[in-house]
Amino acid sequence: MLAHELPRLLFGTPGTPLTLAQHEATFAPSVKVESLFNELAGSGLTGRGGAAFPTARKAELLRDQRGHHKVVVVNAMEGEPVSYKDSTLLSTNPHLVLDGAAILASIIGAKHVIVCVSRDNPTAVGHVQRALDERKRAGSRGPEFELETAPWRYVAGEESALVHWLNDNESLPQYRPQRPNVLKISQHSVLLDNVETCANVGLIGRFGAGWFRALGTRTSPGSILVTITGAVERPKVLEVVPGMTLRTVLSFADADPDPQALLLGGYGGSWLDGAFLDTPYDNESLAPLGASVGAGIVVVLGREGCGVVETQRVVKWMANESARQCGPCAFGLPALSEDLAELSTGSRTSTKALQRLEQRCGVIEGRGACHHPDGVVRLVRSALHVFAEDFMSHARGTPCLGSRAKKYFVAVPQLEHEHELIWE
Amino acid sequence: MGVKRRTGGFYLRVNPILCDGFGHCHELAPELVRMDEWGYPIIDKEPTPLSDLAALESARYAVRGCPRQALRIERVSET
Amino acid sequence: MIALTTPYLWYTTRATGMVTLILFTLVVSLGTLVANRVGGTVVGRFEINELHRSVSIVAVVFLVLHITTTVVDSFAPTGWLSAIIPFASEYRRVGVAIGAVAFDLILAVWISSLLKVRMKNESWRFIHWFSWLAFASAILHAYLTGTDTKNGVGLAVVGACAVCVIMASLWRYLARPARAAGRTALSPLAATKGPASASAAIKSGHASASSPSAFPRSPDARAKSRHASPNTPSSFPHSPAPRRSKRYR
Repeated sequence: MLAHELPRLLFGTPGTPLTLAQHEATFAPSVKVESLFNELAGSGLTGRGGAAFPTARKAELLRDQRGHHKVVVVNAMEGEPVSYKDSTLLSTNPHLVLDGAAILASIIGAKHVIVCVSRDNPTAVGHVQRALDERKRAGSRGPEFELETAPWRYVAGEESALVHWLNDNESLPQYRPQRPNVLKISQHSVLLDNVETCANVGLIGRFGAGWFRALGTRTSPGSILVTITGAVERPKVLEVVPGMTLRTVLSFADADPDPQALLLGGYGGSWLDGAFLDTPYDNESLAPLGASVGAGIVVVLGREGCGVVETQRVVKWMANESARQCGPCAFGLPALSEDLAELSTGSRTSTKALQRLEQRCGVIEGRGACHHPDGVVRLVRSALHVFAEDFMSHARGTPCLGSRAKKYFVAVPQLEHEHELIWE
Repeated sequence: MGVKRRTGGFYLRVNPILCDGFGHCHELAPELVRMDEWGYPIIDKEPTPLSDLAALESARYAVRGCPRQALRIERVSET
Repeated sequence: MIALTTPYLWYTTRATGMVTLILFTLVVSLGTLVANRVGGTVVGRFEINELHRSVSIVAVVFLVLHITTTVVDSFAPTGWLSAIIPFASEYRRVGVAIGAVAFDLILAVWISSLLKVRMKNESWRFIHWFSWLAFASAILHAYLTGTDTKNGVGLAVVGACAVCVIMASLWRYLARPARAAGRTALSPLAATKGPASASAAIKSGHASASSPSAFPRSPDARAKSRHASPNTPSSFPHSPAPRRSKRYR
């Protein structure tokens, strides 16, 4: 594979995963690189699950842990409803992911790898199961693989929630006051990485850090998988290079070239005004604008849409997805949702709703055990910033036309029981 | 008990999962704990100096009085 | 053990028994006040909590007195063991047995509270729920074993204590606070009013995820339009988390 060429991760046809034989023919049969850890460290790979934590540092922390039965967990839960990159990757080249997991296992000295796929995504489960069976038939040496299927919820893909599910059959995020904090499954230390991160590790293990860094910027090397939905011809998963402008990325998906705004990073990410399309798509360039790449999610909001209404729909769903363990999240997010609902419809009491919204954002942030409420607060604050004019007109009681058109660009799953919402 | 010059500070840390919004901490240590509108504690991010003995005593009472044992005192040493 | 033969021990047993019952009624009532978050303006919530803790100590002291005087007294032949093992005494077997059950439960609650800092909060709470059962056993014991409780003032006192605690338990349930979560966030035992109540509905009746939630499709999704609303393939149906049934690895 040439270094300067895409595709790297999505080499193949989504929907028809490469068999083990095809995978080994394409990518060379075994891992060649001598010192895997050094290559990983040199590559500068950061996590692709949203937090962008340096993968080598996480592996190093686990490597230094004592214990003979460490576990690598591959997180394919994909809690974000507008993200399809993990399932697309698994349907294109699952063996690359499994290779990466095996490499990580050899770095930290683990003998078990657990691949966690959402049980509500049977196609992906099937792909992974078949890939694991192929490996077992081929009798490849290396760690023992296991497939676990957890039920899908937004927080189920969070690190500590997934590990808690593996331990106690409940997807509840845990309180982790000390960082760095090593998660454990029955006393065995766990290294948890996103599917895409593992796939990148698989590539680095074969071709080395130099090859990996040939694409991308200095701080964000490699390639990223991006899910683009919203005002696009068809929702797509693309492999892009950090450093490309957002405009270029959108053009690959035949998106609206003049959108009102973009939602970057997922439901817990932030809005970016459509005027900033020429920003390079990487964390370093997006950070000053208050946005981030997150889990490679872009939702395009067309001019006919209403940012207030879209935000309200997302926050309502996110409030229902709270694990309800911590008061500020369990009570605060529904309160935000109600304020936003009041603002969406626009009535005379809406100015107070706007003030309450801003005040509550400050109160809720940082007081949960996990970062679910923080994500929602970030989304709301970015909406208040980007759609400031819309919020003002809604607050005055004159909602914009877009809010009445009922044309939605951000896909939000339906709540199960609309009439029986969680906080009523 | 001699007077010892104490340096550094302490945090009152709440485990938000255990916390059930009883509000005893706010009553026992009002200078350290404020309440939000739903009855849950808001605690300063800044450490309180250990020389503030009254605050430390209030914090100790709050830790002991919490029905869910959700509070801890964490020492922060000045480096 | 020297068994004393004065009737005053017998009177002390009966008296301390009555006082213990009244004190435990007070303890349970204070407990419901704490759990239902009463206070904050005139009386502090922490004060009610402290009162609950203090009165329980006094109640246990009187309980120990009651048991000691019963055992030491030779008029009613009960041994030490009968205080903790039901049916170990010959005298008024059933009544004393129920008393032993009550004492065992109270002992469990008390010791768990002494060691509260050393155990997980949910274990402590689990044991603490048994205090209701302990009180019920105490009332039964008072009625069945008590010499004074069959009629007159004694019966009135026992009756009043029983009514008081029954009312307390009703109020405890009806005025329960809206909490963020029960034992676990998505369990059907999750409290009651407040954000978790519909999650109980989600789990109980509709756990089969039979209606896969589709992304909302805009009524205008015309294929010709360049900027069509999301025509995304329907994503994962919304399924509730599994119950805490078995342990996975």
